[in-house]
Amino acid sequence: MKVRFWGVRGSVASPMTNAELAVKIETALQLAVKAGLKAETEIPAFMKSLPCYVRETVGGNTACVEIQAGDKLLILDGGTGIRMLGLDMIRRDYGGKPIEAHILLTHTHWDHISGLPFFVPGFNPKNKLTIYGAFSNLEARIRNQQKFEYFPVPLPAAFHFVQLKENSVFQIGDVQIETLPLNHPGGSHSYRMTHQNKSIVYATDSEYKDLSNHSLRPFIRFFQDADMLIFDAQFTLLENIEKEDWGHSNVFCGIDMAIEAGVKKLMLIHHDPAYNDQKLYKIFQDASEYLEIYAPDRNLEICLASEGLTLTV
Amino acid sequence: MNITEEMKDNISRIYLEGRFDANTCADVEKFIREKVEEGKYRFVINMEKVPFIASAGLRVILVFAKELRQKFKGDLLISNLQSSVERVFEISGLKNVLKIYDNMENALQSFKIEN
Repeated sequence: MKVRFWGVRGSVASPMTNAELAVKIETALQLAVKAGLKAETEIPAFMKSLPCYVRETVGGNTACVEIQAGDKLLILDGGTGIRMLGLDMIRRDYGGKPIEAHILLTHTHWDHISGLPFFVPGFNPKNKLTIYGAFSNLEARIRNQQKFEYFPVPLPAAFHFVQLKENSVFQIGDVQIETLPLNHPGGSHSYRMTHQNKSIVYATDSEYKDLSNHSLRPFIRFFQDADMLIFDAQFTLLENIEKEDWGHSNVFCGIDMAIEAGVKKLMLIHHDPAYNDQKLYKIFQDASEYLEIYAPDRNLEICLASEGLTLTV
Repeated sequence: MNITEEMKDNISRIYLEGRFDANTCADVEKFIREKVEEGKYRFVINMEKVPFIASAGLRVILVFAKELRQKFKGDLLISNLQSSVERVFEISGLKNVLKIYDNMENALQSFKIEN
């Protein structure tokens, strides 16, 4: 399966500000002076040597992850990241056939659906875009978002709906999909996608207040031996406790659960909109050190999800 | 996890022994909760024999420290951390909000000074 991250922010879209951009440029120039750069040909190697938080940004779009599993295109959540995915999709070669995609929604908080009205493949009625959700009134919730009070254009005909039950198990082609309810105000649902003996779990918008093994068992079982776990690590551990009942988690909890479940790769996602790139990379570095202290002999790999990041499972 | 308590000068000194993680956090939580319900609001947790703390353990400590400070004008202090455990307190940010002491005597002294 091929995974591409189009939106990795939580709560609200948070584009980089001019001030943040200026800091990146200034830092890069300072480092260039220190490195004694003299020719343009030295720039590519110098760029690679820059810290991640200087040369890149994790991005400001909200939740959207694309998974290509065989001939099936799965889209996890329709946050603002889905707009860029839609623009990319209409440039792809489908051999003259309409676009077919399966949009799996965790829940309908704004950061997970607000990109749907801007999803360009929706405007071609020949395309078939099926939205799945395990929460009540799926279709009404999505249609209501495009009532005239909120948006000038109603939901186009290309969209179809599949109302799931809690704890569903179903197939999309040869991809097996399972769902699990998570701990989030108003509810959220995790998806586990298995294709050719590889599994990806998408588990965002969940808070784990009781971290005892007994309480975490249903989640650990669902994450068990996943090749990739895409995990809500919105807050630092401290802020997670300060913002009790906001429905999110932290990276330390993610590492503990991933180790317990035997996960191979942990992707940190749903970054807090108030955290800039430097803070996010610091959190990632601290998390890497925690993993080294906790389980130096484990094969778990952790990765900060950023817009445009593409991985194969 | 082995948990023992020594009560003196109205301060509960709790000695933990073993990994403080998802397997053991419920035991520690239950133990301290019982003490709080008995009316004890000042604690020093001696972690000399704790070789590792996971997020489950960090959470228990922080939640109790917060509750004791806000509801009971008490506190939960930490002492005798092993170096790797101290590092986890640092990188998790808890070192900035908890009172951590090299040894039990210094922690107890801190309570006495506050009085």
